[in-house]
Amino acid sequence: MPGPAELQLNRDGNLRHLLTTEGLSRELITSLLDTADGFRSAQGQPVKKVPLLRGKTVVNLFFENSTRTRTTFDIAAHRLSADVVTLDIRTSSASKGETLFDTLKNLEAMQADLFVVRHSAGGAPFFIADRVTPHIAVVNAGDGTHAHPTQALLDLMTIRQHKGDPNNLSVAIVGDLRHSRVARSLIHGLRAMQCPDIRAIAPGTLLPNDLADLGVRTFHRIEEGLSGVDVIVLLRLQKERMIAGLLPSEREFFKLYGMTEDRLRLAKSDAIVMHPGPINRGVEIANEVADGPQAVILNQVTNGIAVRMAVMAMTISTQQADALCRL
Amino acid sequence: MSLVIEHVQIYSPGSSLHGDTSIGIDAGQFVDPAQLSNSVVIDGRGWTLLPGLIDMRVNLREPGLEHKGTIASETRAALAGGVTTVVATPNTDPVIDTPADVRLVLERAQRAETCRVLPTGLITQGGDGHLLAEMMSLMEAGTVALSQGDAPFASTAIALNALKYAASLDIPLILDPTLADLRGGCAHSGRVATGLGLSTNSPLSETLAVRLLLELVEVTRCRVHFSRLTTARAVQYIANAKKRDLPVSCDVSLAHLLFDETAIANLNPNFHLTRPLRTRHDRDALRQGVIEGVIDAIVSDHAPHEPGAKLAPFPETEPGMSMVECTLSALYALDHDGLPFAHSLRAMTTSPAHLLGLDWLGQIEVGYTADCVLVDPTGQRVFDHAHWISEGENSPYFQGVGMGQIHGIWVEGNDRTDRVSIGIRDDSR
Repeated sequence: MPGPAELQLNRDGNLRHLLTTEGLSRELITSLLDTADGFRSAQGQPVKKVPLLRGKTVVNLFFENSTRTRTTFDIAAHRLSADVVTLDIRTSSASKGETLFDTLKNLEAMQADLFVVRHSAGGAPFFIADRVTPHIAVVNAGDGTHAHPTQALLDLMTIRQHKGDPNNLSVAIVGDLRHSRVARSLIHGLRAMQCPDIRAIAPGTLLPNDLADLGVRTFHRIEEGLSGVDVIVLLRLQKERMIAGLLPSEREFFKLYGMTEDRLRLAKSDAIVMHPGPINRGVEIANEVADGPQAVILNQVTNGIAVRMAVMAMTISTQQADALCRL
Repeated sequence: MSLVIEHVQIYSPGSSLHGDTSIGIDAGQFVDPAQLSNSVVIDGRGWTLLPGLIDMRVNLREPGLEHKGTIASETRAALAGGVTTVVATPNTDPVIDTPADVRLVLERAQRAETCRVLPTGLITQGGDGHLLAEMMSLMEAGTVALSQGDAPFASTAIALNALKYAASLDIPLILDPTLADLRGGCAHSGRVATGLGLSTNSPLSETLAVRLLLELVEVTRCRVHFSRLTTARAVQYIANAKKRDLPVSCDVSLAHLLFDETAIANLNPNFHLTRPLRTRHDRDALRQGVIEGVIDAIVSDHAPHEPGAKLAPFPETEPGMSMVECTLSALYALDHDGLPFAHSLRAMTTSPAHLLGLDWLGQIEVGYTADCVLVDPTGQRVFDHAHWISEGENSPYFQGVGMGQIHGIWVEGNDRTDRVSIGIRDDSR
């Protein structure tokens, strides 16, 4: 049985679904990022509209709350001239007891071309991709604590734009790596891009076991971990972590791991600060840093649209090519 | 009608019979074939006769969960795996916590005319770990031991009471070592779960529970069988306890001997288990535990499910694997992978017979109860849809192949070969 990493590629190694960054090659990621760059104008702004997906239907399946990710997928699909349908499944079938499998079969009958899936269970987009009819592409928009591959790709795009090829950079990821699909996908993506130095900075309660097996060095003291890095990625801290007893308070987290101007000086002088958003000022990041010249957080959002356009265009084009082969 | 199996390779740990020989079966027992006349004769040339396997942990699903399996279907599946005795878990719906429940299971098992079913009952009412069930009444109704099913005790206080009470009445307990507040999580907290972001179960949930329960055994001297060990450290703790002559024993499931955490890398829900697959190091230590005899028994931990239970994203599927039907094939597979058949066979015959106080079972020896399996060890076994018996298709063997073609199976001298569709014995030979 193929896993997510195998299922998302067709026999020729082209991307037909995007389920995880795990197993993607440097070449494939580079080609995705090049395409995404092409969807931005010379000023760095995304192009407004291209007719690539005219006549195609993109269905946003959001089984879990999301505003930003959903909006950027919406915008990306519209800019590719696709028809977009957004279903907030939480408030429809799931609450009526319909299983994910039956929901899927119903939506399939509606002749969609691409499903964008967000779900609270890890592996849900894989489950869908594994069972969907062959002509439908599935893009993972975040599943449990498993993966958030488009976020990782937009992070890589932002890193590449500001710092160049990740293959000679030091990247530090700070905060709740244990529960973060963003961190997991970024780590797999950075490894594929041959990043030589990936660091995780967090207290023991927010680190998953055996991170070293993923090629990540762990640090419990931020002062040690930040030394000489090119890129700092901050993760969002959820309030549930305090309730679960993993942390004493947001205040103590900020005291130990918050990104302040003083700490930023420990990194390289031209280091960039990233955050998947929404940011918690005074918890993960100090105001001066969030609003300072080294923060590229809003640029990440802009890149997110271009990356999602590239992913949709590439997966649908693979599906089309495969469909022609099947004829 | 008596029976003689001639020229067969008898392979039975602890027995005086071995090699190319003949054995008689009469009135439910193994007898000296020289004392029989007018018997049906089976030519066993090229085949092996094994004692019927004893499986100390099988979920039969009846009553209440018949959509997953029934006593009739799952005991037939057991026979197809070479298993002639199953210890049934009390995790049914309703659970087995009254004498009436026990009688119901026994009656339905008798009606099925398949393998021997030994029920277990729950230690606590409803299995929720809070109040003691009528433990002695359950034993008198026919349970072979009492357990907590998949659930842990709610507190150390109730665990202590249960062990004290059981020890005073000489009731054996089968316990899953799991600490209530560390249970949960669908994968071992190791590198595979870290890469996939799955909710995790720490090995501490097991190792701490083993240490705590061993301390309670030390104080109460209750007989405790630890079921489904998954960690190398737990094996070490049990080994030390046995050296101190504590009345403890333990088992391991086939899945934990065959696989490790890497089996879930593809999110195949068949590998989602109640007690997660752990590291290669743990798997190897469990195999070594069987070889050294620290681990007394191997169980199938058979948990059949309807297809819908596994038709969901990995973390949302129901845990468990349908395995009893593949038991013999799994033992042969392990034999080729570092766990010699002689050891695994002992852990499914003489050793569990001894633990369960069934000293008339588990060997091919004159005077013992005639439970046995006639098998072609080199024959291929096809587990395709047409030959699959269990209601649960949630097995890594389903649609695959295994070793060990069964040509005959007897339970207490009764020929049960026709209960399994895996190739009927050719009597013309």
